[in-house]
Amino acid sequence: MSILPAHIETQLAEAAPAGVQFRTVTDDKGVVTAWCTLSSADNLLSVGLLLKRIGARLSTITVYQPKAVAVPKPKEGEEPAPLPTFPGGTPQDGKTYEIDYHFDIDGDTLTVVAHVAAGGSIDSLTPLYRAADWPERELMELYALVVRDHPNPKRLFIDESIEPAVFERLIPYSTLVNSAASKSIWEKIMAQTGAPS
Amino acid sequence: MSNFTIPVGPLHVALEEPMYFRIDVQGETVEHVNITAGHVHRGVEYLITKRNVFQNVVLTERICSLCSNSHPQAYSMAIEQIAGIKVPPRAEYLRAIADEIKRVASHLFNVGILAHLVGFESMFMHVMEVRERMQDIKETIFGNRMDIGANTIGGVRYDIDPASIGYLREQLDALLPDVEEIIKIYNTDASILRRTKGIGVLSYDEAIDCGVIGPVARAAGVNYDVRVKAPYAAYDRLEVPVHTLKDGDVWSRAMIRLMEARTAIDLIRQCLDTLPGGPTVATEERPAIPPGEAIAKCEAPRGELIYYVRMTDSPKPERVKWRVPSFPNWDALGIMLKKAKVSDIAIIVNSIDPCISCTER
Repeated sequence: MSILPAHIETQLAEAAPAGVQFRTVTDDKGVVTAWCTLSSADNLLSVGLLLKRIGARLSTITVYQPKAVAVPKPKEGEEPAPLPTFPGGTPQDGKTYEIDYHFDIDGDTLTVVAHVAAGGSIDSLTPLYRAADWPERELMELYALVVRDHPNPKRLFIDESIEPAVFERLIPYSTLVNSAASKSIWEKIMAQTGAPS
Repeated sequence: MSNFTIPVGPLHVALEEPMYFRIDVQGETVEHVNITAGHVHRGVEYLITKRNVFQNVVLTERICSLCSNSHPQAYSMAIEQIAGIKVPPRAEYLRAIADEIKRVASHLFNVGILAHLVGFESMFMHVMEVRERMQDIKETIFGNRMDIGANTIGGVRYDIDPASIGYLREQLDALLPDVEEIIKIYNTDASILRRTKGIGVLSYDEAIDCGVIGPVARAAGVNYDVRVKAPYAAYDRLEVPVHTLKDGDVWSRAMIRLMEARTAIDLIRQCLDTLPGGPTVATEERPAIPPGEAIAKCEAPRGELIYYVRMTDSPKPERVKWRVPSFPNWDALGIMLKKAKVSDIAIIVNSIDPCISCTER
């Protein structure tokens, strides 16, 4: 049986005046997974505040760029069909970021989904949820997505010398393993420090 | 009193894996900790989108060794949700057995390392010897001592017959008194109590604020265990007591792990007592996986492991994201280490049972 608060959909809609799409799935054992897609990513903080009051714990954040939806080629003389959009009008162009905030509410999972067009930014949840700190830092090094007002926006795992947005470009395998061979590492060290006397 | 900055790691005798701690101390007291991660970042989240759904069962098992069973299990559960696959009851019990065998081995490993860090070497060797029985069980039942390859999409890849059930019961009967004895020693031995009681404290409020999970949270009084709060596999049919303590110190975290190791033995026995018959996989064919998205959670030895999987019309996932329990637990180290003595740093770091391969992927 769901332990999500009664009227959670209404509360989410009130916290996100631009609109929400809400759905739930319950498995055979009664565990509920809920999805709340925001029409505007600008409503994220107020939704985060509502969930904080409910006692939700931020489990993690997923970011990716959903594939573009194929649009049939227009016939001669016809206007090209407009790109499909996510709720709120963000284009499904293969570059838009989908950011999924997975909250745990005493076992049930509520995922708040926000869409941000390429080149855009989104508010940091870290001031509300300490557990957002590392996931937001990680998403900023994987994608060219800016998290506004993050209190500590430095790299988490990937060294500063590596270009950002590693998930948005192809990294050739030969580059990936460049430092994996001991001979290659040794040559690099020698190039920097000179051969031993 | 002088201020110093002490580098601990990335390669350090007290660390099983590489992590760099830049620790500011005043005299012998820790004032501030700065963690630099990334030394074993392998890009597995990228790699997983380049392999098909079934290859990823093998890949996810290699994210970590101590909780290697939890990764393919949660991943498979997410795929099963997307495909609407119903796992047969016998497979659900076999999944719980594999889960608990790994839990005993993982918890005893951490508690054994604690004895090593407090200088109680004979205890360290004794705990590791007791744990060796679990390694033998894994080798006998699954054919491997760490990556046991138990899970597949739709069920499990192993089965147990009456002979192996008898062997398992025999080993558990021999193991339980050893675990009971270790619990008694950790409860009463002065050299352990002196180095662990009141050390590295994380309060209930701080645990909630940090969002920590698993034994780290339960040692601070947070009553959360995925096996109870969001049951999966056979856990909805088992009696699963959730152990909590209130002090949130190194000792409490060790005791939670020991009590959970004892409970895990009981859970395996419960599974053996009520193991249903029938198939171990939903289908012998490779099932078609339609587009969709799902979330699956399980209680890994270090706490909640969550997987998000999104499939499109490709056999390769569009996105797989997982958050391991160590990930939020690292942040709490800053609180646990504040005002700690330099000599306690290694003990406190070990007390979150950190998994760096898991964290960095």
